Amino acid sequence: MKYVTTVNGKSYEIEIQADGSLTVNGKKRSVDFRELAPSMYSILAENISHELTIEQRGDEIEVLVRGHLYSSQVLDERALLMAQRTGGSIGDSKEASVKCPMPGLIVLVPVEVGQSVTKGQTVVILESMKMQNELKAPRDGVVQAIHVQPGQSVEQNKVLLTIS
Amino acid sequence: MSEQRTIKKILVANRGEIAVRVIRACRDLGIPTVAVYSEADRTSLHVRYADEAVFIGAPAPRESYLKISKILDAAKQTGADAIHPGYGFLSEKPDFSQACQDEGIIFIGPNPHSIARMGDKQAARETVKRAGVPVVPGTEPGLRDEDILALAPTIGFPVIVKAVAGGGGKGMRTVRTPEELPAALATARREAESAFGDGRVYLEKLVEGARHIEFQILADTHGNTIHLGERECSIQRRHQKLVEESPSIFVDPDLRRRMGEMAVRAAEAVGYINAGTIECLVDKDKNFYFLEMNTRLQVEHPVTELVTGIDLVKEQIRIARGRRMGPTQSLMEPKGWAIECRINAEDPYNNFMPSTGKITSLNIPTGPGVRVDSGVYAGFEITPFYDSMIAKLICWGEDRGEAILRMRRALEEYTIMGVKHNIPFHQNLMNSFSFIAGAFDTKFVEERFSMTNYEDVPSEEELETAAIAATLFAHRQRQLASQVVTRGERDTSNWKWVGRWERMHR
Repeated sequence: MKYVTTVNGKSYEIEIQADGSLTVNGKKRSVDFRELAPSMYSILAENISHELTIEQRGDEIEVLVRGHLYSSQVLDERALLMAQRTGGSIGDSKEASVKCPMPGLIVLVPVEVGQSVTKGQTVVILESMKMQNELKAPRDGVVQAIHVQPGQSVEQNKVLLTIS
Repeated sequence: MSEQRTIKKILVANRGEIAVRVIRACRDLGIPTVAVYSEADRTSLHVRYADEAVFIGAPAPRESYLKISKILDAAKQTGADAIHPGYGFLSEKPDFSQACQDEGIIFIGPNPHSIARMGDKQAARETVKRAGVPVVPGTEPGLRDEDILALAPTIGFPVIVKAVAGGGGKGMRTVRTPEELPAALATARREAESAFGDGRVYLEKLVEGARHIEFQILADTHGNTIHLGERECSIQRRHQKLVEESPSIFVDPDLRRRMGEMAVRAAEAVGYINAGTIECLVDKDKNFYFLEMNTRLQVEHPVTELVTGIDLVKEQIRIARGRRMGPTQSLMEPKGWAIECRINAEDPYNNFMPSTGKITSLNIPTGPGVRVDSGVYAGFEITPFYDSMIAKLICWGEDRGEAILRMRRALEEYTIMGVKHNIPFHQNLMNSFSFIAGAFDTKFVEERFSMTNYEDVPSEEELETAAIAATLFAHRQRQLASQVVTRGERDTSNWKWVGRWERMHR
């Protein structure tokens, strides 16, 4: 089975044979990969030993190696073909939204509909974990809609505000 | 008042890692414990470790952990004759210490009078000033905005806006120009109002290039007041401490002696009993100013424990029972070096945004010189109701270098998955030349530290290993998935199929 795996923006072509042997970008690698406990793995790659924690999170696979967390995408041949056909850049719309990063309470929305904002400008103040967090505009634009008001409790991932 | 009292059962009026820490000291002493918990904390670690646990209300602190009547009811219901308040919540509320006294319950901490005197920052400044302790210039508390705006130029910018009832950086803002002051006052009042129910603020001159150095105090009812050396807490962000160490690389024996004497004087000025901390600012020329006294156990108390060998919670309990404290003299020579990293559920790559959710994997470092005070476990759900600090990693070494190397090793071993956390920040900090050289002040993290400066560039080999591991992980999952599909050609379970087949043939 052939895979293309992307880590930190770098792509690797990895092929796994039926007998379990493995090549990376065409070069043979001797790898011993064992599951130790849920999410916990040991890998011996050319005798180099690493303990790894691996978990699937959405479309990505998170790998923790020696305190470094890598998010990786693993595409098999079919998925790769599909991605190439759709051209990759779907959903690059003109609108940007500010989503709620965690559940909390809206303290203040210091902008108005129609107001222009610059990237990095505070658009919502959210209280969570006893802290007031300033949520910033992801890019320059005009506030198109505000979906919340001060005093309102909000769930994670709720769209708070859209900028066009 | 040096009558001796017995303590048969201790209620811990707190949650998280500090509740676990206090329960551990009680278990060491053979004293049964009672935990209290809100709706959000039924499955928290402190409930698991305590002998008894009492439900006290809704998740919001003011409905549970801040509700004096509910805590006292829980104590009466379980027959607890003493209460340890931990830090935060009710620990520095004189009303609570008073209410315990009125109910005949021992409050493991200072009397209401000392909490009130030190809790009112202005009264505290006046009191210690009279005892000959230097303080930072500032305004009275509780002034209206107009008065504060008028007084600000006489103190001189930059100034710092502080909440009268403050602590932990809440309701604090640094202001460099008169124009920024009105907005800063508004934010500080709003934060103070929501965190402490008291929106009063005051101004203080900002001492530039200052280091935050504090002294641990212990005082018993037999007239002994001593200090246990300093802790340096200059590594902070938005006035939240992130890393603490003891001793401080900046403090020489002479400064330790002078500051220690000052700290003991300040504590004695309010007739302080039990464990407390005198916080100071120290400028480049080693001039020091009293900042405030924290009338409770500090988050960072473990670094002092590791360089003194003293269990501060046990001493607190001993003092509350009216006994003489264990140590008899102030500490002049700390043993080795200890560093603490606060592990917060905050994303250092995204402006330290708090992160909530379930901890899916957790592996806690161990080995020589490593201590972890944790309030979480694998499978625990971090809720948005409380502080984002989930654990403390404390490392000890013969000297500062060894402590840093051990901290690096322990941070590498520490695995937390499922929520974002600040371990990468600590790893970068432990690599930074400024930290290693001890060249930092309280503004270092905010003004001169960046997550990219000291980020290890991942080695080719490590990247490839991660890619191989991710691929093998995905490959196995796909194989498992395909097995599940091929197993039942009938799209229903075999048992169900057999049942139907049998019924059909009846």
